[in-house]
Amino acid sequence: MAVAAIRTSKLSKDYGLGRGLFELDLDVAPQEVFGFLGPNGAGKSTTIRCLMGLIRPSAGSAHIFGLDCIRDHVAVKRKVGYVPGEMPQFASLRGSEVVAYLGAMRGGADVKTVRSLAERFNLDLSRRYREYSSGNKQKLGIVLAFMHRPPLLILDEPTAGLDPLNQREFYDLVGETRDDGATVFLSSHILSEVERACDRVGIIRSGHLVNIADLDELHRIRFHRVEIEFAPGDDPPVSALRAAQGVEDVAVEDRLVTCTVRGSFEPLLDAIHGSTVTNLVSHEPSLEEIFLEYYKENPARALTG
Amino acid sequence: MAAYLLALRLGRWGAAGFGAIAFLVSLLQAAAFYQVAGHTPAERQVFGRSMSLLAAQFTVIVPPPTHPETVGGYVEWRAFGFFAILFAIWALTSASGAVRGDEERGIVPAILAAGTSRLALIASRLAAFATAATIASLAAIAGLLVGVASGGESIGSSAALGAAVVLMALAVCCYALTLLVAQLSSARGATAVAGVILLGLFLLNSFSRTFDGLVRWRWLSPFHYYEQSSPLVPGGGVDVSATLTLFAIAATAAVLAALAFRFRDIGSPLFSLPVPSRPASYEVSRTAVWRVPVLRDLYDRRIGLLAWTVGISALGAIFVVLTKNVVEPLLAIPGLARYFTGFLNGDVFPSFLSYIWFGFAQLLMAGFAITQVARWSAEDSDGRLDLILSNPVSRARVVVERVLVLALGALVIAAVSGVAVGVEAHNQGIDLDRGRLAEASLLLVPFTLVFGAVGALLASRIPRATVGLLGALAFASYLLVQLGPIFKLPTWVDDLSAFKLYGQPLTAGVDQTGLVIMLAIVVAGLTAAAMLMERRDVGA
Repeated sequence: MAVAAIRTSKLSKDYGLGRGLFELDLDVAPQEVFGFLGPNGAGKSTTIRCLMGLIRPSAGSAHIFGLDCIRDHVAVKRKVGYVPGEMPQFASLRGSEVVAYLGAMRGGADVKTVRSLAERFNLDLSRRYREYSSGNKQKLGIVLAFMHRPPLLILDEPTAGLDPLNQREFYDLVGETRDDGATVFLSSHILSEVERACDRVGIIRSGHLVNIADLDELHRIRFHRVEIEFAPGDDPPVSALRAAQGVEDVAVEDRLVTCTVRGSFEPLLDAIHGSTVTNLVSHEPSLEEIFLEYYKENPARALTG
Repeated sequence: MAAYLLALRLGRWGAAGFGAIAFLVSLLQAAAFYQVAGHTPAERQVFGRSMSLLAAQFTVIVPPPTHPETVGGYVEWRAFGFFAILFAIWALTSASGAVRGDEERGIVPAILAAGTSRLALIASRLAAFATAATIASLAAIAGLLVGVASGGESIGSSAALGAAVVLMALAVCCYALTLLVAQLSSARGATAVAGVILLGLFLLNSFSRTFDGLVRWRWLSPFHYYEQSSPLVPGGGVDVSATLTLFAIAATAAVLAALAFRFRDIGSPLFSLPVPSRPASYEVSRTAVWRVPVLRDLYDRRIGLLAWTVGISALGAIFVVLTKNVVEPLLAIPGLARYFTGFLNGDVFPSFLSYIWFGFAQLLMAGFAITQVARWSAEDSDGRLDLILSNPVSRARVVVERVLVLALGALVIAAVSGVAVGVEAHNQGIDLDRGRLAEASLLLVPFTLVFGAVGALLASRIPRATVGLLGALAFASYLLVQLGPIFKLPTWVDDLSAFKLYGQPLTAGVDQTGLVIMLAIVVAGLTAAAMLMERRDVGA
């Protein structure tokens, strides 16, 4: 049986006043892309910092490829690439120097991999770090994490600051890395991101693991708030909308219809087929809204969250 | 008003810290006066004469005293001369932090986005600092009054308030000048450029006391106007026109700073050279030094190290020249020559140089150590340590590498400044024992490491408070050496000072016991730091 890439057992970090991380049990299999989803302050970064051995857990344990994250932290780092939640300051160093500086701590940076990654994200390494935009700093963080082709990548909100094109490039890179045999642990507060990039998702709220969901369950959890405006003289097909699978909370005000759509948009589009729609807006709800919906369905979970 | 209150809040620790130091120093100096000055008028006259003689050695730093046989004259010389330097440093760091530091931290854009005009922002920062400087100046006066009361005497409240006003005026003037300079330089260089300018203005005034050629230029220096007042001295007072000149300089500099701020881009200086376009590069730096532990960190901070090395070496050479200029006239007085030669066993120049230069060099090296330790704390709080520790390196190795970088940096400074002092001494015809000079210079390395080891220990436990605590420790350590003999403290208390451990190697050779204690502190501090570092939460 393969050793788990990440295994935590009752992992806790108590900051007092109910803040921190509490009794986290996780198993991430090798070659899996695991998303760690939660709103700001939920405990995602605390979990990651425990895994990286940067903070000591109050209780419980964390292992990476069977190595204890605290006791064997140096050996653990040989197997890990890391993107921190916030890139630090490197002042006047050039990007190329930051890569050389941190790469040397691993015995030298792989020049070809660095070049390939920098080209892929169009990151000019000759510029000084303080001249980088936040997006470019994040790109540098990605280069630093991936440059030594580690078997495990621990990424704390890695797409923060990246534009949509670079986000897509990043998701492709994650997929390729998984195909090459690596494991990816990725935290995010954006549902669509983990849905797109991950095989499984752990959902955390207020320091407690709420659920571990596969993609099917994610699709079920996910919903959109939709506003549809129909053309003057065109009656909204209210009955068809109310009957459509996954379409809920239908409300009509003159020519404006609002509703909630769960899962696929196909039934909604079928329901409005033949009507003249002048405007259609879909909002992705915040994680908190998703949690509220989720707890309405699973009140028992709300007690732990 | 909101911007002013925010500026006050951001600067509250500075006001509290510098106020506390000012209170303590003036209290101790006033109390010390009654310990050493004697009680009868005759005793105090003798004391005053000896102080004037002693003061001749220090005119490069502080002006000569007026009526040091009185508590007011003594405290004005010992405390308020030092406050001019202390408050200028505070103004420098506060102003560059307020303008460019807060700009980089995003505070300035947030305030401007909230509807505050740039002029109002500059005005609020200046007003907040003036408030803080007033509080700290009044704290200095409070310390003085308490100290004077302990001797059963009193000082007039108008004289005390006058001293506070003049000190505040100097601080505000330095603050406004830094505000202006910070608009013209890059964010990164603001503190350094303004620091060089303020240091230059300070030295211009100081050196003009020794070098006649500089007298005609000293009107440029705010420190010149500060010295025109002597409110604490009997018969003295506040020089109103000089004090108003300080306020006028402050107002002019603030207006110019506001104008420059209005026309420059946030994040950029008022004037900047166009950056030539060049093709993007995707290559890793091939500079070999990045692959060598310790050297890569030294290389990373090469500009700062160069500045420290050049600055300390230049000051060393200047102190040699000053020693020659100060001591030679004294030796021309037959009575004093007999006194000096008898007292100093014939080695007059090395003795003075040992006392004046190496005493000052210790302070500078302690400052160098504190700046390096400040960087360790910053690495912790800004997340750089996170990224370093995400590599397969142990925390103990990080601690050891940091201290090795400090040791090598101190070695470079000590070696180059030692050579500079030796060469200039040779040029001035001062006969220095080369071996002793080498020992005295190299002994600055373990001395610096004492502060480095204590700093490493603090940074491993409480990184956010490290700089303040280490600065306070250095300050207390220095005060112990200065005031220990005056208050007749037990020898073992004196021995706690790192400055005492250094000894007088230029004249008496290396104090083996002091060296062993310094090395023991370094080893113990490093070991404890490495152990604590292994156990603590990074970034907490």
